[in-house]
Amino acid sequence: MQTMLLWLVTVGALAVFARRFWLRLAPLSRARAANRTDQPMERLTGALADIGLHRRLLRFTWSGVLHFMIFTSFLVLSTAILQAFGSGLFPGFSLAVIGGDTWIALLQDIFALLMLIGLAMAAWQRFVRKPARFVGSKTGDATLIYLLAGGIVLTMLLEFATAIVMSGAPHAWRPVSTVLSHLLIGTGMTAQSASTAHLVFFWLHILIILTFLIYIPGSKHRHMMLAAFNLYFRPLTPKGQLPPPPTKLAEADTGTVETYQDFTWKDLLDTLSCTECGRCQSVCPAYAAGAPLSPKSLIMDLRDGLLTHEGVIDGDAHLPIIGGAISQETLWSCTTCRACMEVCPVHIEHVPKIVQLRRTMVEDGALEPMLQTAMTNFQSQGNSFGKPAKQRARWTKDLSFKPKDARNEPVDILWFVGDFASFDTRAQELTRMVAELLHKAGVDFGILYDGERNSGNDVRRVGDEGLFELLAQQNIDTLAGCTFNRIMTTDPHSLNALKSEYPALGANYDVMHYAQLLLDLIKAGKLTPRTDAGLTVTYHDPCYLGRYNGGFDAPRDLMAALGHTLKEMPRNRENSFCCGAGGGRIWMDDVVFKERPSENRIKEALELGEITHFVVSCPKDVVMYTAAIQNLGVGDRLAVRDLAELVTLSVA
Amino acid sequence: MKIVVIQRLEPVLTEELELSDDGRDIDREWIGFALNQFDDQALEQAVLLKESNGATVTAIAIEDEGSDKMLKNALARGADAAFQIPLDADDVESRSSRALAPLYAAAIRTLAPDLVLVGILSNSDLYGELAPYLGAHTGWPQISAVTEVRLAAGKATVRQEYAGGRAARFEVDTPVIIGLQTAMQPPRYVAGSKLRDLLKVQIPELEVDGAPSADMSHGTTLALPDQSAGAVMFDGDADDIATSIHNLLKEKGFVQ
Amino acid sequence: MTILVLIEHYQGGVADGSLELLTLARTLGGPVTALVLAGSMADVATLAAGLDADTVLAVAAPAVARYASSVYLRSLNAAIAACDPELVLLSYSTAGIDLAAGASVATGREMVAYVTSLTRHGAGFAACSQVYGGKLLATSTLPAQGIAVVMPGAVKAGPRSTGDAPVQTLTVDLGPDGCIRHLETLVPESGGIDLTKAARIVCVGRALGNTDKLPMAEALAKLLGAEIAGSRPVIDAGWLPKPRQIGKSGTKVKPKLYLMAGVSGAPEHLEGMGESELIIALNSDPRAPIFGKAHYGAVCDMFEVMPTLIQKLS
Repeated sequence: MQTMLLWLVTVGALAVFARRFWLRLAPLSRARAANRTDQPMERLTGALADIGLHRRLLRFTWSGVLHFMIFTSFLVLSTAILQAFGSGLFPGFSLAVIGGDTWIALLQDIFALLMLIGLAMAAWQRFVRKPARFVGSKTGDATLIYLLAGGIVLTMLLEFATAIVMSGAPHAWRPVSTVLSHLLIGTGMTAQSASTAHLVFFWLHILIILTFLIYIPGSKHRHMMLAAFNLYFRPLTPKGQLPPPPTKLAEADTGTVETYQDFTWKDLLDTLSCTECGRCQSVCPAYAAGAPLSPKSLIMDLRDGLLTHEGVIDGDAHLPIIGGAISQETLWSCTTCRACMEVCPVHIEHVPKIVQLRRTMVEDGALEPMLQTAMTNFQSQGNSFGKPAKQRARWTKDLSFKPKDARNEPVDILWFVGDFASFDTRAQELTRMVAELLHKAGVDFGILYDGERNSGNDVRRVGDEGLFELLAQQNIDTLAGCTFNRIMTTDPHSLNALKSEYPALGANYDVMHYAQLLLDLIKAGKLTPRTDAGLTVTYHDPCYLGRYNGGFDAPRDLMAALGHTLKEMPRNRENSFCCGAGGGRIWMDDVVFKERPSENRIKEALELGEITHFVVSCPKDVVMYTAAIQNLGVGDRLAVRDLAELVTLSVA
Repeated sequence: MKIVVIQRLEPVLTEELELSDDGRDIDREWIGFALNQFDDQALEQAVLLKESNGATVTAIAIEDEGSDKMLKNALARGADAAFQIPLDADDVESRSSRALAPLYAAAIRTLAPDLVLVGILSNSDLYGELAPYLGAHTGWPQISAVTEVRLAAGKATVRQEYAGGRAARFEVDTPVIIGLQTAMQPPRYVAGSKLRDLLKVQIPELEVDGAPSADMSHGTTLALPDQSAGAVMFDGDADDIATSIHNLLKEKGFVQ
Repeated sequence: MTILVLIEHYQGGVADGSLELLTLARTLGGPVTALVLAGSMADVATLAAGLDADTVLAVAAPAVARYASSVYLRSLNAAIAACDPELVLLSYSTAGIDLAAGASVATGREMVAYVTSLTRHGAGFAACSQVYGGKLLATSTLPAQGIAVVMPGAVKAGPRSTGDAPVQTLTVDLGPDGCIRHLETLVPESGGIDLTKAARIVCVGRALGNTDKLPMAEALAKLLGAEIAGSRPVIDAGWLPKPRQIGKSGTKVKPKLYLMAGVSGAPEHLEGMGESELIIALNSDPRAPIFGKAHYGAVCDMFEVMPTLIQKLS
């Protein structure tokens, strides 16, 4: 009778669970394709390592540890679930033959305790410590899960304890349950009443498990099922290479994302895998600046939008994505700094989705006026400044020598100068310094003069794929006519395009950042710095050099070679905080920022105390941070120095 | 309803201008060229009218370096057709609006539109602006400094602006020539994908029966303005300059 | 031989630019004919009163009661034919743009526009004009019987005449009945701001870049007790409302203090503020034409100078 009943509720619950799960996964089957099945071994080992080692989760210690406790406990306690359902559905089934009453029992007792501690820590975190990253997450969902998970473990322990009471003797392998049984006996429980209680707790245990099972597909705890897959299907392309827009399936297909089915299945899987942990929100410069963007809310809103569209949850099923589920301002707020993606424990790809939706807005011509001016300038002149291409190399006019024209003669190093380094008056000074340094060190280098166009890195991130291709192709064609060994650039954005984006267009180059080249020249004795005038400095990692292309060490080694003492800001290397200029933000109105990210960053540097210089290695950073220091009125305390300036002052 | 919109390239003035050796022209070596901002407005107005009235839009330009790219941009923005008017560079002494007006006028006669839209002025219209010249050469009514255009069968309603923000609304029989100041909406952004798709498109030529007319350019010399008679200049860094201005304001009694 | 001056008027008042043309014609020497178009002879008489001209040529018809390019052009052409002037003077206004080129073609006369100074030169005239947004000056020789379109403000209007010039009536075929029909006159909405009454103005230009820096300029204006204003690009970009536009298509002002930041000084802007009593200009381009007009100037980054100046003023 009981067996029949258990079969009935189990099968019934599984059916409901399957249906609820399928309702949410079904849209993936109608979404666009994504090639995420290559390199299975690489995918598998990476996913397992992320799960097993909790690599990203442990960057947030408290949460990482508690998740590890809950996660391992869950694995161990699944044996208890197996035992419970196995014995109930198939009378006679027992894990005892492999140690269900001995070592497995011991593990279950220990991990049950760990699970309860983990849950308590989680609750403490959520209700007492309340980190800001939870703002916007669904507390009710989390609370219910704590209660259900706690209920499962407690009923399990009580089931074990009543069994011990029934047996009348302590269980040598179940110390926790044995202690609990003494407590029960203390309340007056007899072997007789324990038998009833045992049955009650068994059923409670079963029912809470099944409730949990039914609840999960509609909860952020879906990630228990999906996170592993999301990790497995993570992108393996270079970090700096954005996925292309969807391939047009038919002539009428616009190739843009307007409905949820226009996303790839991986995009949709991302939204379903989100745990609402808010790590992305806590590192997002736009969110910190008060802009209407939280990467977490973005993913949650897309998920809820998708489920509403599917009729799974209530709401307007015809709400558009852009201007409906997600506002235009939200999409334009992103600096594409990638901090969110770097920190996400389940490898959700926020930035590609934002860019994908920007592409739709660009296709519709929905750009804010300032951005439109910059983009129109790219179209007409190939740079955001709207300056004639002929003036791109005007900065060379005041040099002590004339740089080679790499289009006319072979060079060892082809210097791709970039827009800001070419046209911005402040950055031009630094560009000239680099040129003089290379000249002094006898480097055989040349530039493209008016043949260079903007690399298109940020044009692509603004969402104008066609313009990116036009710009990139012009550069690729120009470079094809040149003879050179390596490309050097001072601009991390150009570096990213040349190194990570152009290969997708069939152009592969050996690309280096000037920090590396200057370091090599010093190491080779071509430049001799004096090291007795060391400063105490801090260093800002540019997003597109550091997080995107792993260029963390060369700038630091270079500063060390010049005798400077580096004091790191709390947010450094992978966790560097974006200046706010990336992703085309430098061409947009920054009223969306209540506190500009660059000013937030300068305040972080000022907190270090004894530093005098804020060292940068990106022309845009020079512009952004000079302005930030000016706006904050702290020019007497801190000065922006580009690496080129440091080297120039040192070798003079 | 057929609209012709004229597109012209002109020097980008964000940079310092230098003069050619004979002082008759600007030095074109370092200077860049871009679509005349008023022609940009004219194009937008044309496309707006296409959207509201179902008109067809034909963009035309005198053939020159960059004119094909400019016309492709017009196509991407919504023009239905585009033509370059060939001009042998050696035959032409001046590219002023006055000189080139007969060529545009001939093209307009060939295309026979109901409405011609062109930017009110270009930055080198020393001998007059293009729209009134087109009016004179075609004999059609012409209205410049226009900020609104609406079309109905055989008629256009326009808003003409005067100094001080005054304006008047006119009804005019088509065909008509409009020197446009501002379109009714700011020029739209055209995604690069549309430009990319037009990359291989050839802009056809439109042979016209006309020749440039003479202007007074042979008797004109250009010079950089003599700034010495102008402002008293404050030197130094930002702080010095602010101090000088502050002192001046105090001296003149504007501040305490 | 006479110099023919087209008189523009609005609501019974003669435009400043037209009065300036009369003064210029006087300076050049020789008889001056003022062409006045109005709805009736009575209106012509009102407008002609006190004009410093030797003759008033009048076209009086309901069709020319208000400005319209077609009938004005026919009248101008007829007037040129009637008095065969040695020089036709038009103001660089909407009418000047509408009419000069057409009259030039119709009457076979040479023309030059954007004139800032005009002198006799041989049998003709030497004209100095602003081109390329005021960044260059063009000197050209306008033969006799030419047409000159003169920038408003290029000369200062002289005193009005005490006597009235004799009025001659000109009958003009005004063409097919109403190919351009006047529907309504539109007066600008001031939006509560009247910059013409402001004694002090801080004007920002295209170099502002975006609305983000606007509070800086507004703070400066506030400290100076000045109104904030903008050049045409600033208004077109929507950074400031239309009533705050200074220049040809905006408001013409004569404040005691005109502090301008990032305005290059195109002729159309100078027209709107050139008579300010004290002009201080900040611009990053040493060749900006504004430095030719301003009384004081500095080549600098306005975003560096403004905060410092704000500090000093507060």
